[in-house]
Amino acid sequence: MPFVLSRVDDRLIHGQVVIGWGRPLGVQRILLIDDDVAANDWEQDLYRMAVPEGVTIEFAGTAAAAARLGAWQADARRSMLLTGSVPSLVRLYAADPVALHRINLGGLHHRPGRTERLPYLYLTPDEYHSLVELELLGADITAQDVPSAVPVGLGALA
Amino acid sequence: MNGAGRAFLRLLSVQGSWNYERMQGIGMGFAAEPLLDDLRTTEPGRYPEAVVRSAEFFNANPYLAGLALGASARAEYDAVPGEQIVRLRAALAGPLGALGDSLFWAGILPALSGLALAALALGAGWWVVALFVLAFNAVRLATASWALSTGLASGMRVGGALGASKLPRAATRSGAAAAFAVGVGTPMAAAWLLHPFGARGVASAVLIAGAGLGLARWSGARFTATRFGLLALGITLLLRLVTA
Repeated sequence: MPFVLSRVDDRLIHGQVVIGWGRPLGVQRILLIDDDVAANDWEQDLYRMAVPEGVTIEFAGTAAAAARLGAWQADARRSMLLTGSVPSLVRLYAADPVALHRINLGGLHHRPGRTERLPYLYLTPDEYHSLVELELLGADITAQDVPSAVPVGLGALA
Repeated sequence: MNGAGRAFLRLLSVQGSWNYERMQGIGMGFAAEPLLDDLRTTEPGRYPEAVVRSAEFFNANPYLAGLALGASARAEYDAVPGEQIVRLRAALAGPLGALGDSLFWAGILPALSGLALAALALGAGWWVVALFVLAFNAVRLATASWALSTGLASGMRVGGALGASKLPRAATRSGAAAAFAVGVGTPMAAAWLLHPFGARGVASAVLIAGAGLGLARWSGARFTATRFGLLALGITLLLRLVTA
């Protein structure tokens, strides 16, 4: 089935993801896409500990994930796609624009070069322009950290 | 390494300078300072960069933050390369947040609240409220103390120590306990509170609850219980003013 949520969040799996979104959406599987984590066994063990029983995590680097989007959607489980960076999102979108048609910006935090767009969302000019390009290609992008927050469109983040 | 006691006390205020730029980072740096103090004499060259690392962006459940605090301080003394410590902190933050939020916010806190409500409805005195506050704080202080000492003892091996601990199981089980306690406690407390108001009171409570459920269904997750409660309270006050 299609992904129930495609989210960009540099903290990857944390309370907002597991409790805030995972529970109301009935997420059964988290697809965690991050090159560093995909190459690191003990980090994967940490993330596996962080999800409730009954939720599985699959790890993949961006390139491997782009090739598996079709197979992941063929699975009947309710899946959340989770990546920590805008370049990774752009790559995944290019691989399957339909699967990533709706994108949730959940959290990108302060780093040199980034400016505050929302309290939980800091973007470099390049990151912002990449997102605008995705929207021009047809993606529906909103920022929303938790389900009870009001979604904010890209236009308000300029 | 000294300073564990002072670090524990400082960790109680880990959210004290919470901000969106570093989240708990400054609080973590403040708590790490007593732990890192001995580096000044043993490895004066490393001390300043260790202090800077300890105050970088971090966010986790505040009661479990001690695991990351202790582990990174231990790693500084073990002469682990700086970039590995940065990676360790970053990798611990999310999982400690998810585990701690499941354990406390979605587990122990609602479970104890449900029990306290049920006890009140069964006629226990108001001392139950004090007992509830004491019990919750006893659990979270014990957990925070365990977290800091486990972190300090394990350094870079903290992931294994966490996996071998009872924490992941407890996080899952406390959720089930919370669902049970709230499911039992809420209707008991409602019946107890509504008893003096008779049939009309019960009917209006059912009506308001029905409206809340309907609105929640219609508006999705944005309509939280707190917002609805405040709205219902506001409408009630307004009606009283108008009809008075």
